[in-house]
Amino acid sequence: MSIEDIFLEARETILQCDQERAVRLAERALAEGYDPVEVISSGFSYGIRQMGELFGRGEVFLPQLIMSSEVMKAAVQILDAAIIQGETTQYKGTIVIATVEGDVHDIGKGIVVSLLKTQGIQVYDMGRDVSTVKIIEKALEVKADIIGTSALLTTTLMSQKKLEDELRKNGLRDQFKTMVGGAPATQRWADRIGADAYAEDAAEAVTKALLLLNRT
Amino acid sequence: MRFELLAEYELSQIHEASLKVLETIGIHTTSERFKKLLLDNGCKEEKGRILFPRHVISNALKTVPREFKLYGRNNSPVLEIGKEKAYCQTCVGTPSMMDLETGEKRDATVKDLEEYTRLADSLEFINIISPIFPRDVPQEIILTFETATLLRNTSKPLSICIESSRELPYILELLALAAGGKEALREKPIAMLPVSPLSPLEYGYDPAEALIDVVEAGLPLGVEPCPMMGSTAPMTVAGIAVQHNAEILAGVIASQLIKPGALVTMSSRATFMEMRSGVGLWAMPEMGLAGAVMNQLAKFYGIPSAPGGFCGASKIADSQSGYEHLYNALMEALIGSDIIGSAGSLDNALTSCYAMLVIDNELSSVVQRTIKGVEVTEEKLAVNVIAEVIETQSNFLEHKHTRKHLRAGELWVPSLGDRQTYEKWADKGERIEDKARRIAKELISNHPGLTTSAEVDAQFERVLERARKTEIGS
Repeated sequence: MSIEDIFLEARETILQCDQERAVRLAERALAEGYDPVEVISSGFSYGIRQMGELFGRGEVFLPQLIMSSEVMKAAVQILDAAIIQGETTQYKGTIVIATVEGDVHDIGKGIVVSLLKTQGIQVYDMGRDVSTVKIIEKALEVKADIIGTSALLTTTLMSQKKLEDELRKNGLRDQFKTMVGGAPATQRWADRIGADAYAEDAAEAVTKALLLLNRT
Repeated sequence: MRFELLAEYELSQIHEASLKVLETIGIHTTSERFKKLLLDNGCKEEKGRILFPRHVISNALKTVPREFKLYGRNNSPVLEIGKEKAYCQTCVGTPSMMDLETGEKRDATVKDLEEYTRLADSLEFINIISPIFPRDVPQEIILTFETATLLRNTSKPLSICIESSRELPYILELLALAAGGKEALREKPIAMLPVSPLSPLEYGYDPAEALIDVVEAGLPLGVEPCPMMGSTAPMTVAGIAVQHNAEILAGVIASQLIKPGALVTMSSRATFMEMRSGVGLWAMPEMGLAGAVMNQLAKFYGIPSAPGGFCGASKIADSQSGYEHLYNALMEALIGSDIIGSAGSLDNALTSCYAMLVIDNELSSVVQRTIKGVEVTEEKLAVNVIAEVIETQSNFLEHKHTRKHLRAGELWVPSLGDRQTYEKWADKGERIEDKARRIAKELISNHPGLTTSAEVDAQFERVLERARKTEIGS
């Protein structure tokens, strides 16, 4: 198989959400001695980016998007194992994301995570009901560019403000960009607490995240 | 009115499937109290989940009251929950508001909470009032503040969704003050208190603890999870019904284990998802269809039902809102519903709107008229009347039968919709949204004001002061 054929098929497996074929292809590419980094970036990553664009245009539905990111994960896992240390995939940036303390609603955040991954952003998803302290620790540990928080309840929304306050108090505010989302969050809320961006839905979250990354 | 969406054998398939879910998948909880309650009463723990054996389910379902009464104050009508009267309830918890003057969406404020409550208090076919969520209140005491504000601005029964047990003592204290004492409150409850566990099948710490405390306080409980087809519940209407039924039954069963005979409603909120964007939809037809299935199940168990229904995805009070709200509410009412919630909401229950509440009052009026059905009696069949009109070569306008039944209210009268001739209408050319807004303003300014006595009001202030000191420390 030529490298071009590998790229094409890799993209196709993502667009068709065909995990079995994606895994087989990743194994074959390694067996034939191709560079795993290249197979990821021009093959699978390219496909997932296309998927993200199709989703953005309303041409594919969420379940397909989520499934394709699972396919991507399975293929990349195989290729990652063969990547020589130090020669890692290039990301556009790193984001730490969580549903705030006291809130266990994380469906929307999950969608944002899937879509961010399609755009070559490294995502650390901390799950739900995560304390402000833990979020900040993680962001420091992975040297995140952006911290994103989600809240569904009007009462837990306050934790987004708490994060801003804690970052400022500890002199860390300039190290990260912050993004807020969730049903009760608004642009006004983001402005009021001093968050760098608010996104109404997953597609906007990606656009805003990329904008923030370009600015850093 | 006898409507059914599912055949008996289909209904029992859903029931059986829900029992299977409770028996083999069960629920998860992070509340030790809730867990202990269930395990002490025959439930089993397996791999961290709590399973409900059949006898526990069937025994608990035997003690659920079929009916109870919900009371207003100051001679407000008594509501008979359990008689499928489709009482209309305002939407709880919207953080945004459509401005009455500008028609623009903005944050909900304390002034909105007061005025919106007064508007709901003035609208005849809005029967139960739930609070919107103002942003300009310390969020630590928001439920306490809301309860006081509702009681100060309406005499109608309330529904207050309890997010956690933390504020419950203040809420109970305020309700008792308004009702004339703790005993009076238990005897004649002026509020129901729903709790909202998480889907799928998760009784998180806050709703689980709140559930126990509400039942122990002796007030009517609502079990109100809010699953979403395709994300937190199966993608099918039958599938969401199975899971939703199981997660609601778990709460209903728990209430009976705490106190056999505890008052409880099955408050379904079966929503779905916009699969292109991930937006949570409270739209039609799936919400109304699934709500109708849930009502049929509630009837099957003999438990009062309280689904959300006056809701849709439209962002403004327009014709989309009108048809979405009517579809969902009517679907649920036709099958049999005690309470239908979400009135006055827009944008999938995220925003409240004064004009929409006036429109929903009209929809509630026609829904409540519809389920009264068509009375068939000798007098109403009117064979003699037809004969007399034909014999005398007259018309029905002249006949006393017409006059009699017109007076008796045979014709439904809209309080909002326009029925003038074109010419008369064109004179002003007023659109229904504008008329609704005009009516809202009139009703708010004509509201008689404070619905609590000065004495009770002063006591409220002390409770609020104490809540402020304890919860915020200022």
